[in-house]
Amino acid sequence: MSDADLTHDAGLTLDGVSAAYRGVTVLQQLQLTVARGELLVVLGPSGAGKSTLLRVVAGLEPVTTGQVWIAGRDVTADRPGRRNVSMVFQSYALFPHLTVAENIEFGLVVRDVPKAAARERARAAAEQVGAAHLLGRRPGQLSGGERQRVALARALVREPDVFLLDEPLSNLDLALRVQMRAELRALHDRLGATMLHVTHDQTEALVLADRIAVLRDGRVEQVGTPDEIWHTPASRFVAGFVGSPAMNVLPGSGPIHPSGAPPAGMAGDREIGFRPEAVVLGEPDGAAATVDRVEVVGTDAYAYLTLRAGNPVVARVPAAHRPARGDAVRVGVRWADTHVFDATTGLRCAS
Amino acid sequence: MLAPYLVGLVGLVLFPAAVTLALAFTEYDLVNPPSWAGLANVSELVTDPVFRVALTNSLVFALVAVPLRVLLALGLALLLHRRSFGSRPARVAALLPTAVPEIAYGLLWLWLFNPLYGPINQLLRVGGENGLTMLGRTPPQWLTDPTDARAAIILMSVFTMAETFVVLLAARRALPADVYEVAALEDATGWDVFRRVTLPLMAPVLALLVVRDLIASLHFSFVPAFVVTDGGPPPYATTYLSLFIYRTGFEYLRYGYAAAATLVMMLLTVVAVVVQWRLFRRYRAFYRL
Repeated sequence: MSDADLTHDAGLTLDGVSAAYRGVTVLQQLQLTVARGELLVVLGPSGAGKSTLLRVVAGLEPVTTGQVWIAGRDVTADRPGRRNVSMVFQSYALFPHLTVAENIEFGLVVRDVPKAAARERARAAAEQVGAAHLLGRRPGQLSGGERQRVALARALVREPDVFLLDEPLSNLDLALRVQMRAELRALHDRLGATMLHVTHDQTEALVLADRIAVLRDGRVEQVGTPDEIWHTPASRFVAGFVGSPAMNVLPGSGPIHPSGAPPAGMAGDREIGFRPEAVVLGEPDGAAATVDRVEVVGTDAYAYLTLRAGNPVVARVPAAHRPARGDAVRVGVRWADTHVFDATTGLRCAS
Repeated sequence: MLAPYLVGLVGLVLFPAAVTLALAFTEYDLVNPPSWAGLANVSELVTDPVFRVALTNSLVFALVAVPLRVLLALGLALLLHRRSFGSRPARVAALLPTAVPEIAYGLLWLWLFNPLYGPINQLLRVGGENGLTMLGRTPPQWLTDPTDARAAIILMSVFTMAETFVVLLAARRALPADVYEVAALEDATGWDVFRRVTLPLMAPVLALLVVRDLIASLHFSFVPAFVVTDGGPPPYATTYLSLFIYRTGFEYLRYGYAAAATLVMMLLTVVAVVVQWRLFRRYRAFYRL
């Protein structure tokens, strides 16, 4: 993103934000804008600085440089309570001694909203997330998914300018995660609120986000819609991180020579990347490889191959036509399905 | 594995307790063999004015000293749970009075309380004239006035709350950080955070510590009263149950009568233990998050 795109009047703007944790810089000159009403997912591996980013926005961690703007206000120097943000913690952070209703209305009560009004708004918020029947219970009596709903209700009862969600789905089992993912997306569409959602789960990011910001070592590697991230990854890192199994990356000079017309700019030291589904097995003039193992996932199978030159390659094949372990195969790919990266910088070469 | 513990428990606790129970119904002077006295000791206790004073003193002491001790320990724990400049030496300082041997601690306070050259009263006289305090009042007569002497014993006991302090320090540090971050995001004031978060989360520990301290207060009033005020000033202002029992048994050689008084003390302890047990059961659900 260029500085020209940066507006302080967005839902949330990080302008050159750096932050340190125990003397180590974890965010480096970060530029990021979340439009009003947008759900932006910050995606990155552990240690990329995702949680720190969220905590900096919340004011729980100080910035070392830069500014944080929320809804057109510079809140860099404001304490957390003055930023009008709500946060859903990975652990949910419910008060164990309070009932669900008291948990949800906590923020209203300490801000001296009259008791009856607070109770009414808490009930409304609980209804929004399907937790109305839990109001009288305590967190200890709730399942993980129910706690999740209560934490969401507590976040939205105050109608904050920005919602911060710190891996809120990571403690749920898969089925529940998929369900809550859909509910979260529906909730966002209903509220039209600005949301910053942090996750290391690429599927969650792809499904949930209006836009995704891929974070690596405290820097934004790429910001884009899920489609852009998937189809035109800006770097080898993004390409490798988004997609499972990860994209195959091989030297541009071989051993695989893609078919069709090569894109411009293949001069110099290049690497080519292609997803497992782009791999064609049985291409007559493809590179020779042997099958190390095969994983079947329903109707698809992933064949883990080793090229004769020694490089590993993963191919997605129909389960019905999968090769067997130890088979010799020929591997090909089309230029149209490849991404070209600069071997030194790892950045995408324009095609 | 349990054998040494069991031997100790039987030999040092259960057997003496059983002997005490039996002796409570006898007349025994440690020289002649005990003679059966039935309920004579108990009925004498009921009418004994000194025993009644001792019982009242013990209860008043517990009701004043225990809340003060727990409040001081809680205050220190909340002040010092964070790693900040000076918190380590301050924690050590909070522990030290409890580490001083009891008799030495008593002798030290004997000097501190001295009406003429004791530092406490010298401090209280600063700014006053003719040996009076700044407000023109006589400084406390720690060792000679009944009320002041009771206050002195309480004052002494307040500083030996290290165990309570350590438990509360650990309890505070064990509280999850994220709920405090939620409170910060909701802009809760320090008072709201204390009242609505810290205090209720620590309530189970606090309740158990209060009961524990109530039981302990029956014992830790002994040495100060024995060393510093000698059970006085008259009329028995600082004679607590423990000192009453000690005097009756070992000075007046009325062992059976002392055993009967000990039974009363044990009864109070049992009541407190039952309360503690009930609290524990009630809070067990609370802990299971």
